[in-house]
Amino acid sequence: MSSQDPGVGVEPSRDEGSAASDGPANAAIDVDGLELVYSDGTAAVQGVDMTVPEGEFFGFLGPNGAGKTTTIKVFATLLSPTAGEVSVNGFDVRSEPRAIRETIGYMAQETSIDPELTAEENVRFACEAYGVPSAERDERVTELLDLVDLADVADKRSEEFSGGMKKRLDAATALVHRPPLVFLDEPTTGLDPKARNRLWEYFRRINDLGTTIFLTTQYLEEADQLCDRLAVILDGEIVADGSPADLKREVGGEVLDVELEADGDASSRAATIAREFEAFADASVTETDEGISVTAETAREHGTDLLVALRDADLTVTGFNIRAPTLDDVFLAITGEELDADESSEADAEGSR
Amino acid sequence: MSGSDGDGAVASADGATAATDETRAATDGRGPVGSGNSFFGDVWVNFKRWNLKAVRNPFVLVVSLVQPIIFLVLFTEVFGTVAGGAVNQGIPGISYETYLVPAIAVQVALAAAITSGVGLVNDIENGMFEKVLVTPMNRTAVFVGKTAAEVFRIAVQIAIIIGLGVALGAEVVSGVVGVVGIVAVGVLFSLWFVAFSNALALLTRDQESTIIGANLLQFPLLFLSSAFLPLGALPGWIQTFARFNPVTYGVDAARSLMVDRDVMTVIDVSWFGGTLDGVAPGVAVLAGLDLLLGGVAVYLLSRASSSDVK
Repeated sequence: MSSQDPGVGVEPSRDEGSAASDGPANAAIDVDGLELVYSDGTAAVQGVDMTVPEGEFFGFLGPNGAGKTTTIKVFATLLSPTAGEVSVNGFDVRSEPRAIRETIGYMAQETSIDPELTAEENVRFACEAYGVPSAERDERVTELLDLVDLADVADKRSEEFSGGMKKRLDAATALVHRPPLVFLDEPTTGLDPKARNRLWEYFRRINDLGTTIFLTTQYLEEADQLCDRLAVILDGEIVADGSPADLKREVGGEVLDVELEADGDASSRAATIAREFEAFADASVTETDEGISVTAETAREHGTDLLVALRDADLTVTGFNIRAPTLDDVFLAITGEELDADESSEADAEGSR
Repeated sequence: MSGSDGDGAVASADGATAATDETRAATDGRGPVGSGNSFFGDVWVNFKRWNLKAVRNPFVLVVSLVQPIIFLVLFTEVFGTVAGGAVNQGIPGISYETYLVPAIAVQVALAAAITSGVGLVNDIENGMFEKVLVTPMNRTAVFVGKTAAEVFRIAVQIAIIIGLGVALGAEVVSGVVGVVGIVAVGVLFSLWFVAFSNALALLTRDQESTIIGANLLQFPLLFLSSAFLPLGALPGWIQTFARFNPVTYGVDAARSLMVDRDVMTVIDVSWFGGTLDGVAPGVAVLAGLDLLLGGVAVYLLSRASSSDVK
């Protein structure tokens, strides 16, 4: 979160002299018109432009199949773009993939560790693969295992680890070469809250040290907590970007959640009443599992009036709450749907393998 | 994350700059290396990892040895007296033990080669395949290192089988040179099956299918060849099949070394006048087959590492 303060710690390695990039001198990622079409014809990414400055904690959001993983794989040189210019750390993804591989850390969506090796051996293999000088390896391995709290189980085979421990080990192996830019593709999916918090703390720490972080996530709270700036991708196109606060402001007004006694079409009847409610000039109304959710400038002043109107229509209100918008509301307003992990999409190609 | 950070970071940036000229050539996996490692450094890193994994699976190591050992012991004990006659018609004056050891060496090579594809499937399943692709390691070196580890294991296992055969009464007429030669022929033989199991792995992407697919071939290949009995003692259709069976070439080449005379049954050459007339054609056929299937496996591998993008 303190990307404004990159002076504390490490100056990330970057090739300042490289003329390969047309983008701003201090852009970790610079993308112009990225398109990617899979060989089966699926257009996973359609014209993405973005710039991520050095030191930023950047969040990339979108429903499943929107093109998040595909985009991140282009940055990590695992996929070659169909069209567009992409430079990462000042290097072109097409002509200089090896230079990019040397200067990025990549944590895939699926936990990627060798289960037959111990925690220590996994990190050591990564050190060797990235060419960490042999004199520094012992120290680096110890330091990283400490950082991810796995020093106690350094000599245990990683197949015995819990999901959270495996993720942390995976994260450690992505950092052996001290990359100035790290890609994290849904790093906390499937973890319990405690494990998630630990990883968050860890990501903040490396960001504080000056590392640029590019994060995709299913959890809007995670994006809200960690990211300086967000972009939302939908059907392969970026539909919104800005800081979490900016995006919330754009929603406008406040949110009134109303819980209704379940009774057939109670939610849809209530939604109709709310839409026609005169006091909420430009309200956006959505049906939720419990009842309805109304976003409007005047939600606080006229909320009670709506509740009365609902009662007059023989609807039983079992609870209500007025609150400031969250990123969920932002997401709902932008995409017209809730960020749902189970959402099916034709773009199965986004699956991480 | 402090202390020597600055130094490491600067060094890696320099390395990156130096690498840019070479990366174009490197994209296809054959170019010079720009990471901290040389090509052989990358080979060594992967060689170590796969050896470590092999040692972590003593069960697999032992089982892939035990099955051929069972064959060696059972065949010599059960068929030894009966088969001895047939064997002596083909190659006068040798025991069935001596006749069988080269065949079992080839069987070891077959059994151990299957695990190569299984290892690849596991790597794809647990994400290590992709993880390695994201590192700056030379991709050719990655697979050379993996294959070298498997070949090393096969060489050790064949040496064990020869030792056991000698203990059971087999005789390596050509001595130590012959033993080295038999191991070399076994390794050469194993490569086409290593490539085959990797190709199977990349096509099925499934551990069980790879094992079943490769195992299915193992016994027909062994029995429809000169491995257990001289071809003259076998029905005509088997003799025909054996002519196209790589096992025949591997076994006959190894057996020529074992008995120190030309016992190649399917190709008759007289280039050297002696044992090498039995070894050379087998080696030539196996080398060709290795190149062919190796090419297929490399093609499938490079397709798998670049994904299906337009």
